[in-house]
Amino acid sequence: MEKLVCILLLNSIIAFGQKPGRVDLEFVHKFENELISFDTTYFNDHNEDLRFSTINYFVSNISLIRSDGTEYIYPQDSSYFLVKHSKMDDQRQFSLNDIPPGEYIKLKFVIGVDSLRNTMSIEHRKGALDMGGEGKGMYWIWNSGYIFFKLEGISSLAPERGKNKFSYHIGGYGGYKTRTINSIRTVELPLLKFKIHALETSKMTVSVDLERFFKGDFNLRISETPNIMWGNVSEKVADNYVKAFAIQ
Amino acid sequence: MKKRILGLAALFYLLVSSISLHRRQMELPRNFPKPYHNLEENPITKQGFDLGKTLFYDPILSSDGSISCGSCHQQWAGFTNEGHTGSHGVNSQVGLRNALPLFNLVFYDTFFWDGGVHNLDLTPLNAIENPEELNESLENILTKLNNSAYYKKRFFDLYKVEKITSEEFLKSLTQFLASMISANSRYDKYVRGEGVVLNSEEIAGMALVKKKCTPCHGGELFTDGSYRNAGVENSFRFDRGRESITLKEEDRGKYRVPTLRNLDYTSPYMHDGSMETLEEVLKHYNSEMEDQQTLDPLFKVRPSKPGLTLSDEDMHNILMFLKTLNDPEFINDRRFSED
Repeated sequence: MEKLVCILLLNSIIAFGQKPGRVDLEFVHKFENELISFDTTYFNDHNEDLRFSTINYFVSNISLIRSDGTEYIYPQDSSYFLVKHSKMDDQRQFSLNDIPPGEYIKLKFVIGVDSLRNTMSIEHRKGALDMGGEGKGMYWIWNSGYIFFKLEGISSLAPERGKNKFSYHIGGYGGYKTRTINSIRTVELPLLKFKIHALETSKMTVSVDLERFFKGDFNLRISETPNIMWGNVSEKVADNYVKAFAIQ
Repeated sequence: MKKRILGLAALFYLLVSSISLHRRQMELPRNFPKPYHNLEENPITKQGFDLGKTLFYDPILSSDGSISCGSCHQQWAGFTNEGHTGSHGVNSQVGLRNALPLFNLVFYDTFFWDGGVHNLDLTPLNAIENPEELNESLENILTKLNNSAYYKKRFFDLYKVEKITSEEFLKSLTQFLASMISANSRYDKYVRGEGVVLNSEEIAGMALVKKKCTPCHGGELFTDGSYRNAGVENSFRFDRGRESITLKEEDRGKYRVPTLRNLDYTSPYMHDGSMETLEEVLKHYNSEMEDQQTLDPLFKVRPSKPGLTLSDEDMHNILMFLKTLNDPEFINDRRFSED
């Protein structure tokens, strides 16, 4: 009997030690070092004026890498989040539940939606992936696939005919039968020995510098390219914005 | 002992009958390849099929309530739009491309003339959200369905949901679409040994189709599911075919190879509906194709001029064989008709 109690006690101690923690992951949008306001006019690297109206993007396939190099992969089915930021929407924070406690040195995620999920049946497209619900406007119908990053706004350099609107819809998961554009990008952000404790919530903030959307290996000029829908240039823009993400 | 045998026999009977019951819901033709569509994930039930059919024929799916899926996919026309070169949308708009027939869809892995969609569940959205077709958003359809006591009850009865979402809506449509199998043509009964005999012209035509129209129109689906340029006149100003999906110049003017089944019902032909009769189509393939940059190399049989080398007799026999691919049982199957 005593033995049994001992074992039970030991078990519960071990179990307690393994109780998971929680991470609240927040994305903040900046232009250079300033937090974005939808009423402010900014100037990109090409000296083009711009005001933002919509900043939407998918964050998926999240994982955390421990100090010893092992990886904790957040349950794949629940690993799809849609950041929505406009005057109407402000959805920038997500809770990652049941994270094993420990010390983590890297946060990894995909900007966009992996190719497999892009071809799945409707049963596997819930929550952020539901194009008739939360994910509306983030999906191409005629050329099946998610829009990974949608950045829209106003600039005096965008055509007057289109009400000075610039509109960048970046997507493309690489194609189903034939290779097509692939704008899936993985971000790996080093963490400073980020500790997750059992039963506690830790806060992690990722800042996204939207100035980087327009510069990098590819110079995106609103005056030259006010709209991107489905084009080869998408991949280059994705290469730009992947560098916009940083741990704050 | 006797009891035990009886018990075993009863068990065996139950097993067999349950399998055959399952089979009856979705009979796949013996002569067809394995389906691409996952029938186990969204198994077809009578209720699901019926709900899908109601939706298919309900103009609630269009922006102004004027047209349904069934408006451009008419059963008597092999579920194409009879006599229309481009399909007909809201406000009497005409689309660029000819409505494709709807049958044997579970055997395809990509859909539409340019292959832009690759899951059957998502195919209805293409027509629904196209401004030249149903011109409606999925979100708005869900709102309309959720505001309808009639649909709320039907969806609740089937899926036990209080709120209809994309999943239940599209799954129901898929059940109807996946059920549309056309495999009872004279040709099918002939190859399955079901007591049909083909005459000498039809047999000759069959051999010609195997020889001259394969691999493109090969296999029991009479298409290899590829995208090819068949030399139909095209300025490429409005429609570049599969190039719009792959963004590759080499895909300019390539379109899905359509099936040869049920052709008697599906006139006009080709991606733009530019040919009204099968005679015209054959003549085109024989000697009238436009030699475009991406024209399929299989048409370059002789150096002077692209096209198949068919005699008048060949063409006659091919036409005779194509008729054996018509499936009047499918065209008249009441299960798929508007109630």
